[in-house]
Amino acid sequence: MMAKNDIVYDPDSHLQTDKMWVIMGPQHPFSHGLWTLKAQLDGEIVTDAEPIIGYLHRGWEKECENRIYPKIIPMADRLCYAASMTYTHLYCMTVEKALGIDIPEKAKYIRMIGDEICRIQSHLMWLAAVGTDLGNLTVFLWSMREREFFMDLNVRLCGARMTTNFPRIGGVRNDINDDFVMYTKRCINRFEKAIWDVISLIDDSSTFVSRMKGTGVLTRERCANLGITGPAMRGTGVDFDVRRDDPYDNYDKVEFEVPVLKDGDSYSRYKIRIEEMFQSCKIIMQALEKIQAIGKNAPYRLKVPSKVPAGRAFMRMEDPRGESMMCLISDGSDKPYRLKVRSPIFVNVSAAKPLVQGCRIADVPVVMAMIDMCLGETDR
Amino acid sequence: MAWSKYKTEYIDSDRSPAGSLWVMKPLWKVFRFFCKTVVHRPVTILYPYEKMWMPENYRGRPGLRFDRCVACGMCAKMCPTACIKLVETEDASGQKVMRPQINLGRCAMCGYCAEYCPLDAMTVTPEFELAEYTREDLIYGPKRLAYEGATEKMEIHLEQTLMSDIKNGNSERRISPFKIDRPVLDAAKCISCKKCEKVCPVKAVKMVEHGVNEKGRPILYPEFNNDACICCENCVEDCPKDALRINEVL
Repeated sequence: MMAKNDIVYDPDSHLQTDKMWVIMGPQHPFSHGLWTLKAQLDGEIVTDAEPIIGYLHRGWEKECENRIYPKIIPMADRLCYAASMTYTHLYCMTVEKALGIDIPEKAKYIRMIGDEICRIQSHLMWLAAVGTDLGNLTVFLWSMREREFFMDLNVRLCGARMTTNFPRIGGVRNDINDDFVMYTKRCINRFEKAIWDVISLIDDSSTFVSRMKGTGVLTRERCANLGITGPAMRGTGVDFDVRRDDPYDNYDKVEFEVPVLKDGDSYSRYKIRIEEMFQSCKIIMQALEKIQAIGKNAPYRLKVPSKVPAGRAFMRMEDPRGESMMCLISDGSDKPYRLKVRSPIFVNVSAAKPLVQGCRIADVPVVMAMIDMCLGETDR
Repeated sequence: MAWSKYKTEYIDSDRSPAGSLWVMKPLWKVFRFFCKTVVHRPVTILYPYEKMWMPENYRGRPGLRFDRCVACGMCAKMCPTACIKLVETEDASGQKVMRPQINLGRCAMCGYCAEYCPLDAMTVTPEFELAEYTREDLIYGPKRLAYEGATEKMEIHLEQTLMSDIKNGNSERRISPFKIDRPVLDAAKCISCKKCEKVCPVKAVKMVEHGVNEKGRPILYPEFNNDACICCENCVEDCPKDALRINEVL
């Protein structure tokens, strides 16, 4: 029998094969959401890739121009179902900035708690997706089970599980009660123990770590050129977090660390997200103490004028997936003239080509899962 | 602390996944978890037979208290999906009245109708099993919208704090905008058409004579009964000359 590499390579012979384009998506187990990745294959190796988005375009920004300001809040929920409160929060902050009002301290802390609950729940959703992409259904089930407890917290907070519709312009919808404080503390304490089950399934298993380590490497310079934000950026060694470096609401009054890793591969992105969940727990516990110190009868919702003065307002915040921004142009009426959204995944998906180039086709689902795709906010 | 544990053991340390026995560790974890779940109570429920506990302010389908409603149309105005429509129906005494009808196929369960109802006639209800066979069945008429056992917590109150109150140190006062915002008349624009009187759902507008004009006809200006007014803005919207506006107390 001849050795495997004992062939004579002749470019003119019939053995010469073309590169092949493989279309993955929009309905494909790898694409979480509706998007397509066109991958050019040379054997097993991906040589070129092109992401195609736009399957979920709903005309969100145009639709906002025909609505009065409070009516946009339920729509902002639906930008991203996994972390609905962050976009509502961002929208409310933008309008508050345009109005030039300062909302009560208590509302800021309640929003912060809601945000961090959403961050944990979004990361758990991502962990579940990564589990299936790695071929481990146990991770999917266990992290979905953990997520359920945070959904219950959402129900207690605002009466809905996913599309929360909770922040309002000038504060939040309702005050938190003692039950919520108790259940949140209990849930966080439980979560900090239970998440170790999932961690030990992935981090302690050489099968899964070796699939993540060294794949999808992105350098710091490449990351800056592509405009990538969020955990994907912090995994490459860029030490930047909007919560710490450009604090909104009361994030400058709580203590937390921003995890940064220098490797830039899939595994470092994974580790950053796991660590972020622990940091979110820390923030929630601090914010609960601050709320209890403020007192029960403190105001939580301001009455705001229905008309926003003409001008521009811009806010940015740290979404679970990256940096999201909103720019509001108002013409003095009760409807916005223009509301522009910058969603993190719309920019991060442009890293698809440099990420998957050079890796094997079997690694593509894992590499792209580390971006944490959410198409609701991307296509808008 | 759990967060420092992950940092020291996984992030800062230089772990290598090469050890082949590491495959056994997750297996052992799963086995331990299996033993645990045999002893502990289940985390799932038998859904159709058991229901999950829902808090009182759970946002299921909207409910209507027929008697409290005055058909001000605030719910229809605030609905972000435009699924609420005022339709004609009969009340208990056989009189023709307007009441909201909701297309639940469109409803986003945002709870705005309950939140912005000035008279707390709309409530949120814990009903969420709304599947029907046809789309017509998803449209809930005013009678069908009634929900038995609507409690006080299901009517979401709009409790806001005024910015002036916070400045004055009276920050504990909560007030609904429907109690303080009132329509104001710009008398120079008014043409005495009586439209505001006709559209007012609570009969808070009364046309009062203020002398006669050069043709000898009476000049009528609306006067508002501030106690009865619910700030539904119907008069403001229907005024043909934009003589009315809402005075927002901030």
